[in-house]
Amino acid sequence: MRVGTVPSAAYDDLPYTRGGAVDRADVGALVQSAVDGDAAAWKALVEGLSPLVWSVVRAHRLGDADAHEVYQTVWFRFAQHLGRIREPEKAGSWLASTARHECLKVLKSSRRLTVTSDPQLLDRVSEERTPEQSVLDSEEAAAESERIRWMWQEFEELGDRCRQLLRVLMASPPPSYQEVSAALGIAVGSIGPLRQRCLRRLRARIDARGAL
Amino acid sequence: MNDEVTGEEPLGEQSLGDDGFAVELLEEELRQAATILDPVPAQLRQIAVEAFALHDLDARIAELTFDSVVDAIPVRGATDVPRMLTFRAGEVTVDVEVSTHGLMGQVLPPQQARIEVLGGPQTVMPVVADDMGRFTSDAPPSGPFALRLRTGGEVVVTEWLRA
Repeated sequence: MRVGTVPSAAYDDLPYTRGGAVDRADVGALVQSAVDGDAAAWKALVEGLSPLVWSVVRAHRLGDADAHEVYQTVWFRFAQHLGRIREPEKAGSWLASTARHECLKVLKSSRRLTVTSDPQLLDRVSEERTPEQSVLDSEEAAAESERIRWMWQEFEELGDRCRQLLRVLMASPPPSYQEVSAALGIAVGSIGPLRQRCLRRLRARIDARGAL
Repeated sequence: MNDEVTGEEPLGEQSLGDDGFAVELLEEELRQAATILDPVPAQLRQIAVEAFALHDLDARIAELTFDSVVDAIPVRGATDVPRMLTFRAGEVTVDVEVSTHGLMGQVLPPQQARIEVLGGPQTVMPVVADDMGRFTSDAPPSGPFALRLRTGGEVVVTEWLRA
């Protein structure tokens, strides 16, 4: 168990660097610029942290309408609290935590509760086409596209805990463990081992499917 | 070097390295899959960009101090129960009741106030308030909303909330 915490710390050191629009060191500075009225800084925050907010919302399996409303509420509230946020460099954790609380509220008001296996999401995978998806539809990419859909289906069928963790981890740029912790209400120290286990479980499912 | 793999599986040195690598790689593949299959909807991103207009350093924020969804014990069998909310900014309290019929509420202590319901960066709807600070609106807010109150020389905005 002790060794399990080592990669989490190592992983934590390379948070927004992998192809990220927002370097973590910059988040605090961007927040400050936005407070001073710089709309471009605000836009950079939205570009860099939107995928995290969306991932948290999706991790909680809200239906489309609820997901859209929670996402908006989180950003409206962030704009409102701008300049009053105590640790601007942790804006990602602030957003993740706010998103989590709003999601839990939605799930609590039972009439809005959506079923665990959201058929819409699977439908979307096969029916709708995002621009990026259309690129994948070229012949050379057909096999790759198929593989990605497989992988997504296997991911969707993981247990709740793993599916939730992986959906947050796959935000782009990759979230820090602090942000994952804020997003899911789990201890930072347990994320590393859980992540290893969930990814392995997914790998096993994909391999089993490939063997069919 | 390979100590990132937990000790739960007794694998050879080679497999340990491969396994650790594959885990990173799989996560990256998932990340790419998410940007293709479940990206942030473009119109939502745009709304978030426009939300910058909601930033108002001069307004006081009235924080949510009571929300019946969270703080009240649900009544068994009761359906269509109005949502009760209380916001507070210093001395000023705003009680709000949201139902399918609309929105009503009261500013406390009772005082004259001009009140608007905000529905987003571009949506502002004035509501009727009497000189005791009681207000009603026939249109229930759909989606996120906030109330903006102008009382005396002060502007108070309630925390954004999803109706």
